[in-house]
Formats: sequence, C-alpha cells, structure tokens
Amino acid sequence: MGYAIETVKLRKEYKSTVAVKDISLKIKEGGIFSLLGVNGAGKTTTLRMLTGLSKPTSGEAYVFGNSIKDNPEQIKELENLSPQETSVAPNLTVRENLDFIARIYGMDKNTAAERVEEIIRRFSLQEVEQKKAKLLSGGWQRRVSIAMGLISRPRILFLDEPTLGLDVLARREVWEILEDIRKTTTIVLTTHYMEEAESLSDEVAVMAAGEIKAQGTVQELKERTGQDSLEKAFVEIVRAGQNREEKGGMAE
Amino acid sequence: MRGLIFAKRTAKEILRDPLTFIFCLGFPLVMLFIMTIVDRSIPAEAGMQIFHIHYLTPGIVHFGFTFIMLFTCLQVSKDRSTAFLLRLYASPMKPVDFIGGYTLPILGIAAIQAVIVFAAAFVIAKIAGETIAPANALLCILVSIPSALLFLGFGLFFGTMLGEKAAPGICSIVITASCMLGGIWMDVDAIGGAFGKVCQALPFYQGVKAARMAALGNTENINQPFAITLCYAAVLYALAVWAFRSRMQRDIR
Repeated sequence: MGYAIETVKLRKEYKSTVAVKDISLKIKEGGIFSLLGVNGAGKTTTLRMLTGLSKPTSGEAYVFGNSIKDNPEQIKELENLSPQETSVAPNLTVRENLDFIARIYGMDKNTAAERVEEIIRRFSLQEVEQKKAKLLSGGWQRRVSIAMGLISRPRILFLDEPTLGLDVLARREVWEILEDIRKTTTIVLTTHYMEEAESLSDEVAVMAAGEIKAQGTVQELKERTGQDSLEKAFVEIVRAGQNREEKGGMAE
Repeated sequence: MRGLIFAKRTAKEILRDPLTFIFCLGFPLVMLFIMTIVDRSIPAEAGMQIFHIHYLTPGIVHFGFTFIMLFTCLQVSKDRSTAFLLRLYASPMKPVDFIGGYTLPILGIAAIQAVIVFAAAFVIAKIAGETIAPANALLCILVSIPSALLFLGFGLFFGTMLGEKAAPGICSIVITASCMLGGIWMDVDAIGGAFGKVCQALPFYQGVKAARMAALGNTENINQPFAITLCYAAVLYALAVWAFRSRMQRDIR
C-alpha cells in the first residue's frame, strides 16, 4: 500500500513560536488517520500546511508524491477539507452550497448536478436540501460542511475537529458518515476527543508541543504504554514527553 | 469560469439579504421622492436647482452606490470571519477568481440600481410635467460606472482590512463624507472657498458633477470630471485588489 502523505522534517515557525517541530509522518492510503493532541499541539497547523493554507518554514511534505512546495495546485485537485469553524455560504441553500463547491472543483453543470444528488442521498440531506445553510443547527451545518468536502471526490479529505461543539447524537451521526466515507477516501482528522479517535481510527499520531510523540494503531499505543484505553495511553505519552523536556531544560 | 461561479454565489448572498433592498433601493427611492417634494417647496426666486429632478437623480444614483460599498464590505468581511474563504483558499480558486467574483455581481447590482432610480425619476418627472431624455439617462448611467467602481473599491478594501464589527462604522463615515463632499445634498459650488476646493479635489464631487452633466445633456465639459473620477476609481480599485491579494497571501503564509 502506498503512502497518501509523507512529511519529512516539516517545520512551521511563527515569529518566536515553533508551532510544528520537524515532524516526519507517513500516512497510508485508505482508512482514517487521526492527529491527536491538546489545544496548541500543532494539529491544525500541520493540517494547514498539508492543505496549502500555510507554507512550511522548512522541511517537505508529499501528497501522493506531489511536493506541497513545488506542486501546490496539483495537490489542491486531490484533496478537500472541512475546516474547524463553520464554513458554509449562509444565504445559499444546502443544495446550492454543494453545487457551488462541485463547480469550483471543476465539474461541469450536469456532472455537478448528478454528484449533488448522490451526496444528498449519501448524507441523508433530503429534508434540509432547500433550506438556507444559516438556518440549520450546528450538527446539520457540520454534516453539510463534510458533504461539501467530499463532493469533489477527493482522494484525501481533511477534517479539522469534525465533531467539536456537537451534542452526542450529532457526533454519532458524523461518526456514521465517516465510517461510510472511509471505504472510498483517505481521511485525516484532528481531534482531542479520545473516544472518537479510538472508535474511528486505523492509525493515530499523538502531537504535543509541535512534535509527534507517538504513532501507531490504537492497540499499539495501548500496548506500548501498558494502558487499557487510548485516553490513558495519550496522557502517558504526553506527560512522558513533558517530563523529558523539563529534565532537558534543567540539565541545560 | 471559477470566477463566474463565485460571482453567482456572491450575487445570491447579497440579493438574499432583505437589507440590501432596503438600503440599496428603498432608501434611495424614498430620498428621491422626498427631495422632489422639497424641491417643489423651494420658491423659484431662490434659484436653487440641486433638488431639481435632473440634478437630483444623478446624486441619488451616487447615494445608492455608497450602500453598494457597505454591502460589498460586509460580504467580504463576513466571508473572512466565517472561514468560508479559508475553505476556498484550499480549493483550486486563484486570486483573480476571488476578485472577479466580488467585482462582477456588485457592478451588475449597481447598474440595475441606477436603472431603477432613473425609472422612478421618469415617473416623477412625468407627474411634475417634465421630461428626462432617455439618451441622457443612459449616458448618465454609463458615466457613473467609474463611481460605482470607486465605491466597490472602497467596499473591497474595507472588507479586506477590517473585521465585521468595524467595517459598517467606517463605511458610514465614507457614506456621510461622500454625500456632503460630493454635493448630493448641498450646493458645493455655492459654498466655494477652501471647502469647495477640497470637494473639487475629491472623486465624489467630480463623479456627481459628470453624472449631472450627462443627465442634462451638457457633454461639452464632461471629460475632465469623468477623467478625474476614472483615475481615482482605477487607483482605489487597484489598491483594493492589492490589499485583498496581500491579505490572502498573509492568511496562507
């Protein structure tokens, strides 16, 4: 199986802050890959670099073999994203939002119309398809946002905190959708909900202070830390990293 | 092509907001009606022509454009604040698609607005027993295009540089200033002095002046005010495009 994404010492600095510290990741094609971390760990910055929304300070990343530095336009055709914040056109209906994104990604009118029908069915959006996006609840808006991400038939779909702020039922609905999407598309998501990552991910990477502290399947991380849940394993990994940094700081 | 798709979206977003119709159409038409009544109340001996339908209508057209600026500004700042633009930055859209997608529908709305104002002015003139030559009206609308571009440039610039909260306040200042300095509600030529010179140096006055000349069919001296407005509009629009592109670069830095 080939790699969908490969990063080589990818780094991002903002003035005096290092948001992402020379991370090297390999994400396999197919399935769901979760980037875990507390707030400020560098998850969103990593996603931004991989989606062309931020330029790396140094290092390199390849999306299906295309360099994010040399071929950003080519990469844009291969991927799509659903950002953390609400990102729908508020006065457009759900159907119009979907059609808009399909056309922006180069589909002609007829192909876009067929694809919109398909996505509306797949995401069960029939009851809201004629409603303006601004009138939908947070859960529905998130569902529409993910649908907008998938309508362009991306090979990789990036989801930044896809269930943030959703109630339990809405979250479960998003999970069901992701379970369906994973069959055809590589999904890279960021989350700080361990239960979500444990339930959905084929592989996870734990980020803290801009670094990848561990990467593997949920089972591998549990075995490595001797813990019986991903949450406990996550805490163990992050704290071990913090302790190492503190000791390093004292030694210096 | 992507620019046109984005333009369609922008048009829908703006036209589906009821406030667009209230401010961009309702308010100018109400002012046209009220000021016509005011004009009828001013004795002929006063020699005050500013609210006469041939002078008033081009002023009202420009007054309407100021609200186009407001809604452009609100649309751009709203797109930025909701992360909608972020999603599009990650798409294959290029800067020119964004600029065209804001510019085309807004210029179209401005043109329709000007046509409707003139249609209302035709009716009012008819009732008052006067006539507005359709050719002059058409020329006036064409001559007003640089002013529409100017206010579009202001809207794009403020929408790019300011947040959703600050944008309406700044636009209100420009609306008030452009109406006063442009001579829409008062006879700037009659005031003269330093104030008159300041007004003449600005595009608001020159734009209204060129439009009034066109509406009156007085095209002999129209070139100068038209050219001044056009230059200002080109510079401001270029500045707005530069600001938008810079902001976009900064957003994806």
